[in-house]
This record gives sequence, C-alpha cells and structure tokens, in this order.
Amino acid sequence: MQLLVHWSIERRVLAGFGLVFIGIVIISAISYRNTTILIENSRLDTKSHELVQLLDSVGEALGAAESGHRRYLVTGDASYLTSYRSVVEQMPEYFRYLRGLTNDGTEQQTRVATLEQLIAKQLGAEARAITLREKHGYEGVRHLALSGAAKHELEGIRSLMIELDSAEQRALLLRVAQSTGSTRNTIALLGLGALLQLVLLASVYFLIHHDVVERRRVATELAKRGELLQAANKELEAFSYSVSHDLRAPLRHIDGYAALLSKAAGETLNDKARRYLQTISDSAKQMGQLIDDLLVFSRMGRQDMLRTTVNLDQLVKTVLHDLRLDLQGRTISWTMHPLPEVLGDPAMLRQVFVNLISNALKFTATKPKATIEIGATRPNSAEIEIYVRDNGVGFDMQYVNKLFGVFQRLHRNEEFEGTGIGLANVRRIIHRHGGRTWAEGALDQGATFHFSLPLAGSLR
Amino acid sequence: MTTVKPILLAEDNPRDAELALAAMEEHHIADKVVVCHDGAEVLDYLYCRGAFASRQQGNPVVVFLDLKMPKVDGIEVLRTIKNDSNLKPIPVVMLTSSREERDLAQSYALGANAYVVKPVEFHQFITAVKELGVFWGVINEPPPEGSDPIK
Repeated sequence: MQLLVHWSIERRVLAGFGLVFIGIVIISAISYRNTTILIENSRLDTKSHELVQLLDSVGEALGAAESGHRRYLVTGDASYLTSYRSVVEQMPEYFRYLRGLTNDGTEQQTRVATLEQLIAKQLGAEARAITLREKHGYEGVRHLALSGAAKHELEGIRSLMIELDSAEQRALLLRVAQSTGSTRNTIALLGLGALLQLVLLASVYFLIHHDVVERRRVATELAKRGELLQAANKELEAFSYSVSHDLRAPLRHIDGYAALLSKAAGETLNDKARRYLQTISDSAKQMGQLIDDLLVFSRMGRQDMLRTTVNLDQLVKTVLHDLRLDLQGRTISWTMHPLPEVLGDPAMLRQVFVNLISNALKFTATKPKATIEIGATRPNSAEIEIYVRDNGVGFDMQYVNKLFGVFQRLHRNEEFEGTGIGLANVRRIIHRHGGRTWAEGALDQGATFHFSLPLAGSLR
Repeated sequence: MTTVKPILLAEDNPRDAELALAAMEEHHIADKVVVCHDGAEVLDYLYCRGAFASRQQGNPVVVFLDLKMPKVDGIEVLRTIKNDSNLKPIPVVMLTSSREERDLAQSYALGANAYVVKPVEFHQFITAVKELGVFWGVINEPPPEGSDPIK
C-alpha cells in the first residue's frame, strides 16, 4: 500500500492495466481448457452411445443364435443354423469394435474381455450340442433340447452385459454433469472477462477523457495567462513611453532655464550662486542619463530576441575596438583565451561584453597596471561559462547580491561614475538566453564576473 | 526677394517652445518662427482657416512637429500633410522626446523627412534646434510653390 501511494499516476495506471490484462489472459486460458474438455466429452459420449447400441446388437445376435441352435436341436432342420453361423462369424468383428470403443476405460475393457470369453464358451457349448445332434440324432441331445446348451453361461453373459451397459450409462451421466458444470463455468468466466474488458475500456475512456479535458483546461489557462501577460506588457510599454516622453521634458526645462538664467544674469551672480546653477544643471543631466539607462533596461526585457550563431572571439574584438577611446593612456595587460561560438542575439551579447569590459576598465583605472583576462570553461556538456577577470578595486563578497540589481552601486559617484544599470542589463540579457550570472571578488584584489550560456539550450 | 517663408513649430509645451525660440534667436531666425500649440492649430494654419484665415498664402519652409500634442497628435498631423498633394512637399521634421522604436518607424513610414530626439542637456538642445533651423530654414532649398510635378 505504501508502495502504491508513492507510485506515480502513470505507474499506477500501467499496473492496473497489467492486472486487468493478466486477468483476461487467465480467463481465456481457462475457457479454452473448458471448451477442450467439452469437445472431448462429446467425443466420448458418441463412443458410449455406440457401445450401448453395439451391446444391444450383441445381445440380440446371441439370442438369435441361441434360439436358432435350440430349434435345430429339436427339429434337425439345418436352415435354423443360418443365424447361428452368421453370429459365430460376426462375433470377432463385434469384439474388435467393442475393444475399440472401450480402450479408454480399463474396467470396461476387462469386462469386455470376460464377456468375450463367456460368449466364446457359450458358442463353443452350442457348437458341441450341434455336433452331438448331427452324430446321434435327437436322442443324443434330448436333455439339452428344451433348455439349450450352456444355459448357465448365458445368464453370466446377460448380467455382464447389463453391468457393461450400466457402467457406460454412469460414465455418460458423469460426463454430462461435468460438461454442464464446465459450460456454466465457462459462461461465468466469459462474463467476467467481458466485465474486465468493459472495465479496461471504461478506464481507457476515462483516461483519454481526463487527458483531453486537462489539456483543454491547460490550453485555456495558458491563453488566459498569455492575454494577461500581453496586457501587462502593453501597460509596461505605455509606462516606458510616458517615462521617455514626459519625464524628459521637465529635465530639459530645468537644464535649459538654468542655462538661460546663467546667461542672462551670469555677470551679476557670485561664484556660489553660479555653482548652485551648475549643480542644478548637472543633476538634471544625471537624471536624464538614469532615465535613458532605465529605458534601455526596459527595452532589453521586451525586445524580440534573435537567435543566430555568434562568434564570441569576433564579438570581443569589435567591443575592444569600440572602447578604444577608453583605452587611451592606459597600461593594460590583456589575456584573451579562445572563446566558442554560441547561439544567441548578437546585439544583446555585445551589450553584455561592453558592460563587463567597460566595468573592468573602469574599476582598474586606479591601478598603475591593469590586468584583464577573458576566457571560457566548459563545466558540462549542456553549457559554457565565460568570465571576465580584472585586478581592480574588487568588492566585498557580503555585497555580492547587490551587484546585479537595478541602480545598485557599491561605489560613490566621486570614486567611479555610472548609474548602476550595467550589470542589471547583463543579468537580464543572460537570463533571457537561459543562462546564469554570478561574481566573485575581494576588496582591492580584483573581481571576476561569470555568466553561463546553454549550448543547445532553448531561448526564453 | 519675396517675403520670407515662415518656420512652423508645433509644440504644446510653452517652455519647450520658449527654449526653442531662445535657441533660434542666436541665429536671428526666431522672427520667422510661427508657434502652434496643438495639432488642430497646425492644421488650421496649413489650411488657412480659423485664427489663420487671413494669413498670407503659402506653405511654411519646414514644419517642426512634436509627437505628443493635445487634440490632434503629431502622427495624425503628419498623416494629413503627407496625404494632401498640396502639403506633401513641405519638409516635416519630427522633434520629440521619444526615442521609442515604434514612433521612429511609424514616422518614417508616414513620410517624415527627419526625426530628432530632443536632448535633455540644454546646450545640446540649443545646438540641435539651431542647426535644424539653419539647415531647413536657410540652407535647404524649399520646394517651389504650386508646382506639383505629379499633376
């Protein structure tokens, strides 16, 4: 029972079907055996009927022979011997048949053998009486004429024949009882088999029905979820649209009027007031940058993804070319291991490398000699892992969970500029590719950023 | 020389309009600028009706069109202009805050001649507006009046 509870629905269904199937096989086997018995019994019945008939014929023939020989003894008319002689001739044939009909039951066979002996004795006695009548005339057989020869044997023969007959009738009755029983049995079994098959059919119907209903339900649910998702996406789109349009306008005005003010009244303002104006402008610009970054991040999540083969070696080369202005005046030791080809969106993966490599450049800026290493490992056959390692300022591992969050920064703006959206973008892109992102590092000992990509994986 | 053709600026936000005018002032083209505050006003101007019924005939040298405007939005105005054979030759420059792909694609599909995203930073904004005004209002040769080759 415990085992059954732990079994999955498939295993239970399979077990149930197996049991029903075994039941049907057993029923079929028993029915087959019963039918074989019925056929055998009907063959034996035919034999029994033949035996009973043959016994009657033997009895009649014997009677005819006896009365014929007796008439001859009395009258001396040889024509009375015709039936006697034909019986004597036929007797061996009768017994060949009898033996053939009783070869199955030994008791009946013994009886037939005894009967044959007795009849032979009877016929022998009659033959001797006939010979006596021929040689000595009526006087020689006078004592026999009325009673007939071997009267005594005849009685034994009659009782034996009755015995044979009744034994055969008993066997017949027994077989009839057996046949009736097994027919009833077979009918019951066939009924049970039909029931089992009905159960099987019903459960198959139930399973299919259940499956179809379940599928329909899941499809409806999926469609409903899809609609919800689409609605949510539309809302998000409307939101980012209004962010991009409405939020930028006041920022432009702040910066614009600050500029106009400093132009109109710049001469009359003191240094402090000018610095205030400058700060207003800078803040507006910074917020504009934040909005732009947020829009890029939101677009990364909504944009349709391409799925092509991307040569990462080539990709990194073009990224380094694009970043060449940041490389000016820097001493950097690059270690580039060969990178594989992957399946993905080239523009998005390019963004990943731009973010990771510019981070590495940014956070090694304080080091006299920067070391940046890019490579790939293959932990299993399902995915590859790519890492970007630097010897920069690193980070405290206790903040590792904040690294990939939106607008999460581990440094003050005066130390390293940035809005804190880069790694969030990396994570979002890699997640959409079905991969993972993680990082390790220590303060002042550099950082390593890893991401994995499924090799033949599906894109979400 | 005949009278100077105006630059039509469709901008619902008075501050943006003022900043744009301030930018064009530097190149002394501000006096050419006619400001409309929504899409309906732009159409009134182009068809010389309503408040503009008595204006001097002729198309503006260029239309700077904001996307998001009350009553009739920029896309609607653009569609009307590009579907009217008399207005169709007027260069239309979309001047908007939106960088959304959808807006870009739709504008160009309807026949916009340029699409400029308003920069947040004032100096960049000034430069952009100034250059746009100079290019379309001074450098670019506008289409000749009333000569439609398709006719």
